[in-house]
Amino acid sequence: MKKIGCFLSLALVSLSPLLACAADIGLSSTTLFRFEQRAVPGFDKQTAIPATEFLRADLDKAGDGNLSLHIYGWERVDLADKSVNEGSNDGDLAYGYLAYRFPTANAEVKGGRIIVREGVAAEQIDGVSARADLQKGFTVAMFGGAPVKLDRDTKSKGDYIVGGRGSYRLKGKLELGVSGLQEGGVIINTAGTAKDNRQLVGGDIWLSPFRMLELNGHTFYNSATAGIAEHSYLLEFKPSKIISVSTTYNEQRFENYFTYSNVRSLFNPDNRGEVKSYGGGIGWTVATPLEMTADYRHYSRTSLVSTDNNGNSDRYGVDARMTFLDRKLRSGLAYHRSDGAANFNSYNEVRGYCLYDSGRYVTSMDAIGQFYKNSIFNRKEAFELIASGGYRILQDLLLSGEIGYGRNPQSSDDLRGVLKLTYNYEYTNKGAKK
Amino acid sequence: MRRDKFCILFMLTAAALGITACSLFSNESSLPAWHAEELGEGRPVCSECHEDQIRGTMKPYASFNHSREFIKSHRLYAAREAYLCATCHKGSFCNDCHVNELEIKPPIKLGNRPDRELIHRGDYLTLHKIDGKIDPGSCYKCHGRTNNEKCVVCHR
Repeated sequence: MKKIGCFLSLALVSLSPLLACAADIGLSSTTLFRFEQRAVPGFDKQTAIPATEFLRADLDKAGDGNLSLHIYGWERVDLADKSVNEGSNDGDLAYGYLAYRFPTANAEVKGGRIIVREGVAAEQIDGVSARADLQKGFTVAMFGGAPVKLDRDTKSKGDYIVGGRGSYRLKGKLELGVSGLQEGGVIINTAGTAKDNRQLVGGDIWLSPFRMLELNGHTFYNSATAGIAEHSYLLEFKPSKIISVSTTYNEQRFENYFTYSNVRSLFNPDNRGEVKSYGGGIGWTVATPLEMTADYRHYSRTSLVSTDNNGNSDRYGVDARMTFLDRKLRSGLAYHRSDGAANFNSYNEVRGYCLYDSGRYVTSMDAIGQFYKNSIFNRKEAFELIASGGYRILQDLLLSGEIGYGRNPQSSDDLRGVLKLTYNYEYTNKGAKK
Repeated sequence: MRRDKFCILFMLTAAALGITACSLFSNESSLPAWHAEELGEGRPVCSECHEDQIRGTMKPYASFNHSREFIKSHRLYAAREAYLCATCHKGSFCNDCHVNELEIKPPIKLGNRPDRELIHRGDYLTLHKIDGKIDPGSCYKCHGRTNNEKCVVCHR
């Protein structure tokens, strides 16, 4: 945190003349006051009032017009009982970086605290990244730096990380990608005494032999343990604008997939085993305001070492979404069943919601209920109701409040209120709202 | 030895790509930094306004229509074209769910947006004991190496 703070301070000072003349400025502030009363049987009633500030700043079109600065983070202070088990205040810088976008080749260089998403890598690092499109359909991306560690443990991540992705694209038909990463000095045992390098290699594909059909997916290989970590594939068939049919296949082999977990009591690669799942879904736009989907997935979990959790499970359900009044009124209904293996519990889940945004006023209702096959702490059901209302004081300033009430196996009464002040300022009024 | 070879091979490949890339940059103009028109509420359907392929991605706009399937599997798209996502979404939009340290469960942070496909609605503290047994791999994606400070309170 200190390193990135120093870096940002230096960067801001040295680049202040360039950033001062940024043409586009975006500021977003969300302040939340949560009021939570928790009644857990056998424990004292708790009242928590955490106040959290989420702040985002974007300075675009600085310098020669291609330089930009982006910062986002949050800070929380508990005004009553502690809201979490750690300290009564906390904070995090999610990202803070300078970016330079080149006018051609979608080329971009970033430096600072960045979030990298390239093939096998989904990392938050303090470092640099660069990407560009090359001629004849090739692309290249590279990154390197220090992984951002968790507050709870300086050993939670490695000492350094490097990686990249390259791909080849055939216009409108195919993209084949190869990616890899190496993170040095990762703890690989529960005692925290053994270190190794995290090494992953990935291959990804997007294939559309004709417009109605798309295959999308990846395979990740753990080169340190010399085994497949994950397969994840999605095949979509869109015979018309209103119907889509999809099938998925996913497989994770824990010996190679959980290898670098920093919660090894929960994700233990030594138990080996794997989960394979396959399924499908159908999406149907019945009419412009009504969209329906049905989905099914079958899970098969096996392990020769720890057999307690072996078994076949299914999850299936339907969703209906409706939009009216030029999308100002949005509502939905959903039912899902999770049919656990013989030694697991099962449950039904029902949900309904409605949202109306008139521009000046925003109101919503959300209700969810879960009904278990076997009682949990002598309860067979849980429910939660959330009602919200908001008023736009100014075009960029929204004051809103939510009240939620629930009962569940963990707490006999769960009452929660949220007071939220959202300020969203964009100097240029373009693009999505967020 | 195998790992050293991997490391050396990786570095050499990265260096070779870095050196050769400079002379091989595409001449095509970059995507705009930000979507030119203000988008309406709800899920965008890119192909409602665009018919051709997205510059730089060589894929049709229809591939990026925000259908429910697209939203469920958006990680496959983001892993290839995060720079395209950034033309409409600020990074903070992704950080509502994907962060090293998540301060507030997404459905509570965005309690006034029930229309968004946010994970862990309702009493997920109870449900995670069931879902986690069925498919622990799905938990690992977000909690295996990051965002697990609340997990270690019980799972020490």
